[in-house]
Amino acid sequence: MANPEQTVDPKDIDRIIQSVGREAGRIIPLLHAIQKKYNYLPEDALRLLCDRTDIRPADVTGIASFYTGFRLTPAGEHIIQVCTGTACHVKGAERVYDALCRELRIGSGKDTDPEGRFTLQNVACLGCCTIAPVVQIDTVTYGHVTTDGVGRMLEDFLRRGTDKKALTDGRRAKNGTGEIRLGLGSCCIAGGSGLVWEELERNLERAGIQTTVKRVGCVGMCHRTPLLEIDLPDRDPILYEKVRPEDVPSIVGRHFRPKSILSRIKNTAVRTLENLLEDPSINGFSRHPLHARDPQVGAFLGRQIHIATEHYGQIDPIDLDEYRRRDGFKALEDCLKGKTPDEVIDRIKASGLRGRGGAGFPTGEKWRITRASGDPETSVICNGDEGDPGAFMDRMILESYPFRVIEGMAVAAYAVGAGRGYFYIRAEYPLAVRRVRAALNKCREAGFLGTRIFGSAFSLDLDIMEGAGAFVCGEETALIASMEGKRGNPVFRPPYPAQKGLWGHATLVNNCETLATVPWILRHGVESYTRLGTEKSKGTKVFSLAGKVARGGLIEVPMGITIREIVEDIGGGIEGGGSFKAVQIGGPSGGCVPADRAGTRVDYEDLTRVGAMMGSGGLLVLDDSDCMVDIARYFLTFTCRQSCGKCTFCRIGTRRMLSILDAVCEGRGRADDLNKLEEIAAATKRGSLCGLGKTAPNPVLTTLAYFRDEYEAHLNGVCPAKKCKALITYGINERCIGCTICAQNCPSGAIQATPYKKHQIDGEACIKCGTCLQVCPENAVEVR
Amino acid sequence: MRDLPSGLSRKRGGGPVKKIRLSIDGRDITVPERTTVLEAAAALDIAIPTLCHRDGIEPFTSCMVCVVLETRTGKLIPACTAPTAEGMRIETDTPAVRKARRDSLDFLLSEHVGECEAPCTRACPTGMNIPRMIREIRSGRFDLAVKTVKRHIALPAVLGRICPAPCEKACRRREHDQPVSICLLKRLSADQDLQAESPFRPEGDPPGGKTVAVVGAGPAGLAAAYFLSLLGHLCTIFDKNSRAGGTLRTAVPKDILPESVLDADIGGIIGHGVTFMPGRELGRNLDLEGLCKSVDAVLLTPGTVSPSLFDGSDLEMSLKGIKITRPGYTTSRPGVFAAGGVVAESKMAVRAVGQGREAALSIHRFLEGHNPDDNQDVFHSLFGRLQPEEIKEYLQEAEADGRVEPAGEREGGFTREEAVREAGRCFGCDCRKLTDCRLRRFAAEYGTDQKRYRAGERRPIEKIQQHADVVYEPGKCIKCGLCVRITKNSAETLGLTFVGRGFDVRVEAPFGEPLDRALVKAAAECVEACPTAALSWKDRKEKTP
Repeated sequence: MANPEQTVDPKDIDRIIQSVGREAGRIIPLLHAIQKKYNYLPEDALRLLCDRTDIRPADVTGIASFYTGFRLTPAGEHIIQVCTGTACHVKGAERVYDALCRELRIGSGKDTDPEGRFTLQNVACLGCCTIAPVVQIDTVTYGHVTTDGVGRMLEDFLRRGTDKKALTDGRRAKNGTGEIRLGLGSCCIAGGSGLVWEELERNLERAGIQTTVKRVGCVGMCHRTPLLEIDLPDRDPILYEKVRPEDVPSIVGRHFRPKSILSRIKNTAVRTLENLLEDPSINGFSRHPLHARDPQVGAFLGRQIHIATEHYGQIDPIDLDEYRRRDGFKALEDCLKGKTPDEVIDRIKASGLRGRGGAGFPTGEKWRITRASGDPETSVICNGDEGDPGAFMDRMILESYPFRVIEGMAVAAYAVGAGRGYFYIRAEYPLAVRRVRAALNKCREAGFLGTRIFGSAFSLDLDIMEGAGAFVCGEETALIASMEGKRGNPVFRPPYPAQKGLWGHATLVNNCETLATVPWILRHGVESYTRLGTEKSKGTKVFSLAGKVARGGLIEVPMGITIREIVEDIGGGIEGGGSFKAVQIGGPSGGCVPADRAGTRVDYEDLTRVGAMMGSGGLLVLDDSDCMVDIARYFLTFTCRQSCGKCTFCRIGTRRMLSILDAVCEGRGRADDLNKLEEIAAATKRGSLCGLGKTAPNPVLTTLAYFRDEYEAHLNGVCPAKKCKALITYGINERCIGCTICAQNCPSGAIQATPYKKHQIDGEACIKCGTCLQVCPENAVEVR
Repeated sequence: MRDLPSGLSRKRGGGPVKKIRLSIDGRDITVPERTTVLEAAAALDIAIPTLCHRDGIEPFTSCMVCVVLETRTGKLIPACTAPTAEGMRIETDTPAVRKARRDSLDFLLSEHVGECEAPCTRACPTGMNIPRMIREIRSGRFDLAVKTVKRHIALPAVLGRICPAPCEKACRRREHDQPVSICLLKRLSADQDLQAESPFRPEGDPPGGKTVAVVGAGPAGLAAAYFLSLLGHLCTIFDKNSRAGGTLRTAVPKDILPESVLDADIGGIIGHGVTFMPGRELGRNLDLEGLCKSVDAVLLTPGTVSPSLFDGSDLEMSLKGIKITRPGYTTSRPGVFAAGGVVAESKMAVRAVGQGREAALSIHRFLEGHNPDDNQDVFHSLFGRLQPEEIKEYLQEAEADGRVEPAGEREGGFTREEAVREAGRCFGCDCRKLTDCRLRRFAAEYGTDQKRYRAGERRPIEKIQQHADVVYEPGKCIKCGLCVRITKNSAETLGLTFVGRGFDVRVEAPFGEPLDRALVKAAAECVEACPTAALSWKDRKEKTP
C-alpha cells in the first residue's frame, strides 16, 4: 500500500491542543484539527491526545467512529467524494462511483488506488443538487459527471490541481463604473465560477478596466451556473449563464472599453484570434445572455417571493456595509431600542412563523418556553446541520446571507434572554463556515456582536461549531450532544432543550431559514407576513428544487402554492421530455406525492395528510424513468446509515426494511414481503425514540400507498422504470450503425463489435453500467 | 393515594422539592419532581420490564422494552427516562403496550446470535442438561455429573446402553469432526453411581398426601413414577408382568442391556415412595373406573395395546392411540393422563422416558390445582447452522482432538480417564446466562417470535476470550450500553465504548485494545448488569441443587 501510517510528532499535537482547547467538550474540533493535519486520524495522535488532555480513550474511539467525517485509516493524496444525495442518486451517482473504481483500479473492499493517489468515498450530500451527479476532489467540485467522463475529470484535476479561487474569497473590487456580479455559491463554484473569477480578474487587469467585481451569493438559478451579471449605469443588467473561463474575454470586451490603446489592440487581437478558433455565435457566450424579461427566467422568478433570500444574487454575502445599506440590523436595532423581549416574542407568535427545519413547531412558542425557563445561562443555536440528501437551502442561506442569520439569531437571543449563541454547521459546507466566520468577525468589529449592542444592556457573542458527518445531529438533542463533544445520540424529550439543553441550560435551537426570516418579519410587520401563506402555514418556504425538472434551483415560494405550480411554472416541467411521476418532498423523513396529487398545497398539515412532510425543503422531481421502489430503497439506505443505533426500533427496524427493499429490487422479493414491510414500518414509526426513526418509514409507506403496483411488478421480476439492475438487460437494436463507440467505451468488454455491423451485448459480461447507452450516437442501446 | 417512600425521593439540588401527582394503572401516587415513571411505578410495586436500565445509572433509553402508555396524549413513552408530570395517566399493561414491547423484543431477537439451550439438550426428549454433565465429567466430578443426569433421567444406566442418542445427532461438534460421545459419558456417570455404596437420589419435595396410579411399568411409567415420587406424591405402579421394566425387559437383547443394570436402575425408583403391584392388567383384573375413584390421578402407560381395551371407557381415541393434549398429556377424562406407546407407538425408549417425565410434571400441576396444559413457555433463541469459520470460536474452549474411542470395545464403555478426555471435546454450546438472561425471560413472557423480523443475513459468532474471567460474545449484545456507562462511572482507564453507529454499532475497548485492559475494575458489575450473555463469567458458577 502506498499510504502507510504517518509518523506523529507530539509537538504538533501539543500545538493543536493549545489552539483548539483541552476540555472534553472540544473533542470534535480537536479531531477536525488532527485530521486536517494528517488527512486521517492516526492512532498515535489520538493516544497522545488522551495523554495530554482529560479526554478518555473511550470517548475518542466512540466519537471518531460515530461521525463519518472522520477517517481512521490513512488516505491517498487526494480524496474523491462521490455525492450520494438524492438528486445525484437519480442521475446515476452509483454508476459514477463504480466507474471511478474501475478507472482507478480500486478493488472491492478497498477505497484507495494502488498508487495511493486517490481515496474514493461516498458522501451524504454536497448540496449541489442542480448539477447532479456531483463529485468533489479535495476542494474542487465537478458537476454533471458521466461514467464515460470520469477519466477526463481526473486528468483535469491532476492538470489544474486545486482550484484555489473556489475557497478564497477573492479580492475586493476597486471603484469604477458599473458592477460585475459573479455567483460564488457552492453550486456556482462547482460549475466553475472560481475559474471564471480568475479569468475575469486577469482580463480586467490586462485591459486596465476599473469596475466593481462583486462576488454574490446564490442567484437561485442553479441549473444555469456559473452565472455572471453585468450591471452598468443606465442600462438593464445582463445576466450570462453557464459562463466558461474562455467566454470571459469576449464578455468583458463587449461591455467595457479597454483603457489604453495598446491593451485595446491586444484585446482585439485576442478576440479576433478567438473568433477564428470558435465562432461565438455558435458556441460562445452569445447563446447564454439572459434577461429578466426572458420568459423562462420570468417564469422561474415570477411565482417566487424572496424573504429569507431577500436581495438574492445582488449582495455580496460578507459586505457588512451593503447589508446595512439594505436595512440590515434595523430589526435588531428596533428591538433593542424600543421593544421588550416579550413584545418581540408576541410579534413572532403573531406572525405564525413555524420552524423551517421540518417539524413546523411554532417559533414564537418555542421562544416563549425558552424565555420562561429564566435560565441566566440560556443560549441560542442556529441549526445549520442540513443533512437531508437533496436539500441545500441552509447551505445557500449561510453562504449568501450570513448577516441576516446573525441578525435573526441576535433578535432571538434578545427575546429569550441568551448571551451566547452557536452556529452548528455541517462540515460538508466549508464555504458556509468560512463566510459565517468572516461575517461574525465583521459584526464583532462593527459592534453588532459583543457587549452593549446598540448601546443597550444586551450582549451577545456567537461561535461556530462544525459538524462531522452525522445526519442525526440535525435533531436538536443530538445536535446538543454533539456540541458537548459526545456521540450524536438523541435523548428523550421532555425535558426539551428549551428547558434543559446545552450543558444542562435552556437552549433555543432554530433552523437557519427560520432565523433568516425573523428580521424581515420585524421590518415589514407581522401583517405583511401573515398575508402570505395558508391558514396554519404562514409566509414563504425555501425549497431546493432538483431532479428531473427543467429549471432546478433554489426557490422561495409562498406557502399554499401547489406542488404542480412549483414543478410546472417555476421548474418548467420535466426536463428532456419524460412525464411527471411524483415529487419526493421532505427527504428521508418525507414521502413521495404522486403526480395525480400534485394539487396538494405546500402547507405543513396538507403535506402530512398525504403521508409526506414539509421537511427541511428538499423537493425532488421524479419522472417515469425513476423507480419508486428504488427511491424508497435509496432513502432507507440513507436512514439506515445515518441511524445513530441507540434505540432498538430505528437501529433494527430501518435495517430490516432495507433488507426487504434490497430483496425486492434484486428480484428476490417474496409475496408476503410487502405486508411485512408495512408491519415493520408501523412498528418503527411507533416505537422509535427520535424524529429520525419516527419518520424514516415515510418514504416506504408513501411509495407503498401510491405505487404498490410497482412493488408488485418487482415481485414478478419486472422493474417498470427499468432502473433496478438485477431486473434489466441491455441490448442493441436495429438503429445501430456499427460505429463501435459503445464497444470502445464498454468497461467490461461486453460488446462484440464488428465495424458497420450491428453490435451485440454479451449479457453475461455486461455489468449494466449504462455507459453504452450514454455514448451511443444513434439511440441504438435499449434497456429491457 | 400513596406517597413515594422517603428512600426514593432523591434530593437533586437545593430548594423545596415540588410534588407531582399522577396515576399509574388507575392508582394515584405523589412523587417528588424529576422522578421517572419507572421509579414511580416501582413505588407502587408495578413491574415494568427493562433491559437497558439499571438503578443508580443514568438512563440511556435504548431497548424501548419499558414503554408505557400516557393516556392523555396516546403516546408510548419509555418509562426509564420519561419524567413524571402533573396529572399524567399511565397504563403499563394495555394491548398496545404489550405489542410495542413484543415488537422491540422481536427486533432484538431477530439479530440475537445465540442459543439458549445447547442443541443436544434441545434434542434430548428428557431435556437433560447435557453440557453441564459434560463439564462436570471434564473436571472429574462424576458425583456431580450423575446428579445432573438424574435430575432429568429416571433410568440413566439403561439409557446409557440403549439410547439411540438424538443428542449426538444434534451435537455441534459434529459440524467439525465427530459428535461428543454423550451417551457413553452418561453411561459412565450412571455406572459409577450404581457402584457407589448408596446410589444418588435427588432430594424430593415433602409428601403432599396426593396419590397417583400408574398403569404400566415400562420406561414411560417408571420415569413418571420416579418424578411423581420426587414431587411428593404417593405412587403405585400396576403391571401385568411380575417384574417391572416392560419392553426394556422383554424386547431388548440381554447382552445389550443386562438384567442386572435394568434391575439396578429400577431399584432406584421402586421402593422410594413408589409401590409396585405386579400381575395387574387393565381390562382383566384392573378396572379404570375403580382406579379413578381410589386415587387423585391416573396415568396410563401400558405401552402399545389394542385400542379395543378402552372400548366403553369415555376416553377419546385417535388413529394412533389414546388422544391426549400437549403439553399436558391429559385425556378427554379429567384426572386421567396417558403417555408412551399407548398414545403413539415409538421404538425409542428415551422418548418414553421423556414423556413419562413430562406427564409427571403435568400431573403435578393438576394436583396442585393448576391447568396441566398451562406449561410456562420457555423461550429458546436459535441461530441455525454454524458457518465453517465459526468453529474456531468454539474450539477456543474445546480440545482439538477427534473422538476418544474406548480402549475396550464400545460396548464396554469409557474409563474415567477416557471420559474426562472425551468431555474436553465439548463445545459448551449452551448459554452462560441460561437462567439469568433478561432477554430470554421477557421473550417468554411476551410470547415473542424470533423469526418474525429475521433477515437472511446474520452476524458471525464470536466468543472473545481475552479476559481471564469474562467472555464477550458480541452477537448477543443488544447495545444497551450498560457496560459503557458502568466503565465510565467507575473510571476505568480504557473502559468500553460504542464503536461505529447504526445497525453495525459494536461495543469494544477503545483503540482495539483487548478486553482485559478495558475491564480492570468494573468486570463484575458489567457482567452482572449485562442483560444478556454478551458479557458473562468464563467460569459458569453452576449452582448445585
